[in-house]
Amino acid sequence: MTPPPEPCPPPRDEPRAPCLRLADVGRRYGIRGPWVLRGVDLTVAPGTLTRIEGANGTGKSTLLRLLARLDAPTEGCVTGRPRTAYVPERFPSALPFTALGYLTHLGMIDGLSRGPAARLAATWLERFGAGAYAATPMARLSKGSSQKVAVAQALLGDPELLVLDEAWTGLDTAARAELERAVAERTAAGGAVVFVDHDPGRLAGVPAARYAVTGGGLERRTGGVSPPAGPVTRVTVRGPADGRLPAGAARLAVSVEETAHGCHLLGVPAARSDVLLRALLTARPPWHVVRVEPAGAPPPDPGSRP
Amino acid sequence: MTALLRYQADLLLRSQRWLPPVILYAAFLGIGVRGGEPVLNSLGYAAAALLPVTAWLVRICVTGEPPAARACVAAVRGPVRAHLACLLTALLAAVLLGMSATVVVTLISAPVSDGHRVHVPLLRAAAAGLPAALVCALLGAAVGALANRPVLRSTGRAVPATLLGALLAVVLTGSPAQAAVSGLVTGSQTGRAAVPLLPLAAAALLTAAAFAAASWLTARRSP
Repeated sequence: MTPPPEPCPPPRDEPRAPCLRLADVGRRYGIRGPWVLRGVDLTVAPGTLTRIEGANGTGKSTLLRLLARLDAPTEGCVTGRPRTAYVPERFPSALPFTALGYLTHLGMIDGLSRGPAARLAATWLERFGAGAYAATPMARLSKGSSQKVAVAQALLGDPELLVLDEAWTGLDTAARAELERAVAERTAAGGAVVFVDHDPGRLAGVPAARYAVTGGGLERRTGGVSPPAGPVTRVTVRGPADGRLPAGAARLAVSVEETAHGCHLLGVPAARSDVLLRALLTARPPWHVVRVEPAGAPPPDPGSRP
Repeated sequence: MTALLRYQADLLLRSQRWLPPVILYAAFLGIGVRGGEPVLNSLGYAAAALLPVTAWLVRICVTGEPPAARACVAAVRGPVRAHLACLLTALLAAVLLGMSATVVVTLISAPVSDGHRVHVPLLRAAAAGLPAALVCALLGAAVGALANRPVLRSTGRAVPATLLGALLAVVLTGSPAQAAVSGLVTGSQTGRAAVPLLPLAAAALLTAAAFAAASWLTARRSP
């Protein structure tokens, strides 16, 4: 049987308290099974995006299950207990509920009462373009539609840690873009997101910590930010005097340029411009959005800038 | 925990997988219980038959969810609580079944001891029969918890282990269920119905331990 876990060392001082920390974690299946992962150290801080890479069968899913605290580590320790949501790579529809009924149950497990849970569930289904399937029994949903239900169940509880195991697989183009937006919203709201996806363009342009699972261990990859894929929207904003950009907005922007006292020109991937604007407008005190220039517009004439 | 229990109960009801064990229990009672027979004897039979049925209900509840759906729930509330909710749902369903069977059996049976020698008040009989049914439901749930996922994962091992465990829990001397059932049967001979408090306490402890062990193990075994 597993020896009792040793007391974990107290966390070091960091600018942001980690929401989850893996310290020298190993995991194997069975008492004498081979080690799937060993000596893994990983810190997940609030508001960050973490990308896990690796070939098939290297233990990425095992790592994600440890992060979601579905599995206990065989050795080492996991500290932190954020409110977590998990999206599996294949979501079975063999459940005797309707899509809305299932999501309402999950919302109630997240701590909502029935009415708000049902409303939120309907909203999320609508966002992923599955509103028409709300009353459809899960058994009759297509693979893509049940994946939308899987994604919606994870997002409706506003989790502090969102673990996505190839969650984009099977989604249609619109739903993929919506999930990218939802991930940007989560990180802007201070939630941590850890994901595995085989598409290197997935969430490109968003600052992410990259790790690779190789040979049962975890390696930090450098060159964290890949250049933004797709068009960039330019947003000119004016904040309070000597105001610093809200943290959520600063994380989303791929370029920040202070053009005048209190004025900033932000570049943001078009897919995340809504989230950026929301972060600015809901900041305390709110920022004034002077101008939004869609991707492809000519650069603004310096003379016309306020 | 209430939301988890509600989810599991809804899952059990809508899946309709509760039907076979409930029909089996009804068949047990249909064969073994006759109207107008001594009440304590019939209550003992009804309680004993509840044990394997409860173990089956536990198996249904812990295997009812596809693994991915189980993982989604376990991520939110933790795997221990998620598994505990499965076990408690099955136990509550079995208790409900046992209580209704006890009431029905008490109402249709004769308030007498074996050979119609001593009068046995029906309320007194029910007061002995309800805890006996509870003991059997608890022990059946303990057997189900220890003989299924996550302890035994393959169907080939889990089903025989559940059956064997349920059989042993009914017949083995020293088992609280055996004590409670034989208490009713001997009570039917003497006409004195003892309330099986000691077996009830022992069954509650055993079941709590079995539930705790099975739930603790969920995060430690492979999915």
